[in-house]
Amino acid sequence: MNANEKYAVVAKDLTRKFGAFTAVDHVSFSVSRGEIFGFLGANGAGKTTTIRMMCGLLLPTSGSALVAGFDVFTQAEQIKQHIGYMSQRFSLYEDLTVLENIEFYGGIYGLSRKQIRRKSRELLAYLKLEDRANTVTAELPLGLKQRMALSTALLHDPEIIFLDEPTSGVDPDSRRQFWLLIYELAARGKTVFVTTHFMDEAEYCQRVSIMQEGRIIELDSPQNLKEKYKSESMQSVFLKAIGEESS
Amino acid sequence: MSRTFVSIIKKEFLHIVRDYQTLIIIVLMPVMMLLLYGYAITLEMREIKIAIVDHSKTPQSRALINHITSSNFFDIKARNVPESQFEDLFQQRLVRSVLVIPQDFSRSLNSNPQTPVQLLIDASDPNAANYILKYLSQIVTEFEIEQNPRLHFPFRVVPRLLYNPDLKSEYFFVPGLIAVIILLISALLTSLAIVREKERGTFEQILVSPVHAYQIVVGKVIPYIALGFVDSVIILVFGHFWFKVPVEGSILLLLGSLILYLLTGLSFGLFVSTITESQRVAMIVTLLMTILPTIMLSGFIFPIPSMPVIFQYISQIIPATHFLKIIRGILLKGSGLADLKNQLFYLVLLASFLIAVSIRKFKTTLE
Amino acid sequence: MQRLLYLIQKEFRQIRRERMFVGIIFIMPIFQLILLGFAITTDIKNVSMVLVDEDHSAFSRKVEESFAVTTAFRYLGAVQNVEQAKQRIKKGEAQLAVVIPYHFERDVKSGKSPGMLILIDGVDGNSAGVIAAYVGRVAERLQKTWLPKSGLSPIQIKNLHLTELRTRMIYNPNLKSVDNIVPGILAILIIIITSFLTGMSIVREKEIGTLEQLMVTPLRNWELLAGKIIPMIAVVFLLLNVGILAAGLIFGLWIKGNLFSLYALALLFSLSGLSLGVFVSTISQTQQQAMFFAWFFMIFSILLSGFFIPIENMPPLIQLITYLNPVRYFMIVIREIYLKGTPIIYLWQQALAMTVFGIVMFVLAGLRFQKRLG
Repeated sequence: MNANEKYAVVAKDLTRKFGAFTAVDHVSFSVSRGEIFGFLGANGAGKTTTIRMMCGLLLPTSGSALVAGFDVFTQAEQIKQHIGYMSQRFSLYEDLTVLENIEFYGGIYGLSRKQIRRKSRELLAYLKLEDRANTVTAELPLGLKQRMALSTALLHDPEIIFLDEPTSGVDPDSRRQFWLLIYELAARGKTVFVTTHFMDEAEYCQRVSIMQEGRIIELDSPQNLKEKYKSESMQSVFLKAIGEESS
Repeated sequence: MSRTFVSIIKKEFLHIVRDYQTLIIIVLMPVMMLLLYGYAITLEMREIKIAIVDHSKTPQSRALINHITSSNFFDIKARNVPESQFEDLFQQRLVRSVLVIPQDFSRSLNSNPQTPVQLLIDASDPNAANYILKYLSQIVTEFEIEQNPRLHFPFRVVPRLLYNPDLKSEYFFVPGLIAVIILLISALLTSLAIVREKERGTFEQILVSPVHAYQIVVGKVIPYIALGFVDSVIILVFGHFWFKVPVEGSILLLLGSLILYLLTGLSFGLFVSTITESQRVAMIVTLLMTILPTIMLSGFIFPIPSMPVIFQYISQIIPATHFLKIIRGILLKGSGLADLKNQLFYLVLLASFLIAVSIRKFKTTLE
Repeated sequence: MQRLLYLIQKEFRQIRRERMFVGIIFIMPIFQLILLGFAITTDIKNVSMVLVDEDHSAFSRKVEESFAVTTAFRYLGAVQNVEQAKQRIKKGEAQLAVVIPYHFERDVKSGKSPGMLILIDGVDGNSAGVIAAYVGRVAERLQKTWLPKSGLSPIQIKNLHLTELRTRMIYNPNLKSVDNIVPGILAILIIIITSFLTGMSIVREKEIGTLEQLMVTPLRNWELLAGKIIPMIAVVFLLLNVGILAAGLIFGLWIKGNLFSLYALALLFSLSGLSLGVFVSTISQTQQQAMFFAWFFMIFSILLSGFFIPIENMPPLIQLITYLNPVRYFMIVIREIYLKGTPIIYLWQQALAMTVFGIVMFVLAGLRFQKRLG
């Protein structure tokens, strides 16, 4: 098995500058297929910029990255066929109904009418939204919207899923349900790349990287990190890691 | 003044200053508009394209044509075209008017008391048509005097144009632009001020703080009064020194009424802000309710007495109608407090009414 | 292609959901036609005037009567003296004062040609000019009637040979400004919808975050743009037709030329407006900024398009600027077709200018509108 097939995402010395400001500074990592890979860091640490470069939304200033075997510099459009993306901002159309949103995103991912109908049924059943299919999305509770947004981002059955702070502003119960969904995806062989600033969520990841000021300062499994820092929780690992770095 | 109140004002100022793009627009737009439109707006026509068909070809007909060429009102674009091509001339917009001198022009001029000359005018633009008729009437009168040396008039008309003897259109439009620009800034900016916070959800944060409704409203308004005031002074200075618009009356009275007018605009903007939920709607409501009527119905460009009666009544509701009378009165006619007391009274009434309404409305939104 | 259809379908669903949009399409044209059609009038009517009669003669009463019966004037009555007349003008109560001097009648009859003082409020220079012309017309009629009585011998009168202008106003014989303004309003409406609403709808998606979501889909750039533009064109045509019907029903003004020529050129115009809207959306981050741009442009397009301010008379520099205004071209097109029935071949220059504008804007917008952030 060569490296391309083993890894869903490979980044090497990835850098992005905005004017004089370096948002992401020579970041390197690789994510295996089927892995849940977490990105931790305070706000402004460079998580969102990194994820945007992976999705082809931002062009890196230097370095290289392959996503699903495609180059982010030259093959951004092919990448988009193979990934799902959900940002911290809500990505559904609030003035469309649940069904219309599914239909729309299914349509622009090139699904046939038959596929869209089947997918809609499955999705509505899964989210237990059958009786609210024709409600305008704005009227759904936030947690449900979030799960729905993720589901619509997955309509085209992508191999890799990028989630940028997907659970911010959601109550604990909804967050738990959301993570159950992520586990299911991983179990189906999907690669999940997720940024968060909830440290308890970091425990659910197979590996996490901790970012600070545009650099990756730690990258390992939560277990190894806890041992390294002699901590009980990821919370204190995180505090110690960034504390050490800045002192 | 409570400390929370001061911090609201401060916050609002910071919003304005930080958003430098908007700030540049606020400061530059008025000057640009003034420069552009101060020069551009005039309804007068010059160098009107005309075609002349001379069937007579006599010294007299040439004398008439000479009068037309020597005036700078007309630009002769075509001569002696056959009648069948008149329509084409008009439709291709080569000329706006065709003058046809008949074959028996000279003969008739020597024997008949009245000699007709045909004039065709493209009246699809009535303003231009009016000017064409006016200029040609003048030219024909000159021609008559030349042809009849003994002609004298039973009486003469001695026109005297008060306040603006050279009929400079800047005198009329620059003060008008001030009224429009001030409204643009005051109503538009404040109408967005509250809705924007509603949309972003920062509004609730303020609501839970121990501040009175009126403090929030006043705190929102004060920075914009300052901004609008600075803006208006810039325009005034520009209008006076660049366009040479005179200031005949009291500057103090002018600045006072300016603030009054600003207040009506601002309080209306606030009112819109409290009743709308999104910036887009706020924008469109402001557009329809303030800016459009101000440009169209206040007498800024179009004379109110010429409008249908119902619109004349509507125009009396619009604050700009009254402010225009005030600012033109003070700048051009040297009007004083006594001349303008009705207009000022209306502005005071309207401003206090609007502020009261928006505070009231605002309170009910809170509860 | 299929993706495009879904985009268009989504756009229509959003339009239908938003009640304001429906209002904009059906109410705005009617509202604007009524408001602007009646308010924008370059004719000067109801000029309020006062009269100072120092002569109190049969002739001065004849002057008073001649002014009073002229429909352009609203005669407020006589005032005592010139000073009072000036006061009335200063207060804005009167725009015009006519002063008949002492011994007016006697001087007319003896051929002394007395001067009749006319005071006009010059603040509104344009109106003042027109008022002066009106006064001139009234005076001319009086002069003609009094000519035989003004100390001329019958032989002198016989030797007078005057010229008479026989004027025919074509295309708009009654000189109604409404006829000129109404097609202009339709042009303004189209530019508002295309540049303003398109820009806003893109920036709104930017603000909400849905645009980012669309960017990570395999949608192509042109599909994204076309998905915004095509529904808007449908909206514009709906609105144009509502406007055409309203103009006909309210003002009795129906198209004189070929409707399909108008459609074709309106399509061209809409495309240039739409690409402008897309361009605006690429340079603004928030709806507020987009609105400011749109606003600035709207005022620009109303005042510098020849809508009611003649372009020919602007300073050369400003005339050059007006060439950058697509409304300038369509303003001519719609009026020509509406009022004069001009065939489309005579409008090729305007069509060409709009095409060039549209292409340039489209390229600019396309360059700036990338499926990338930052």
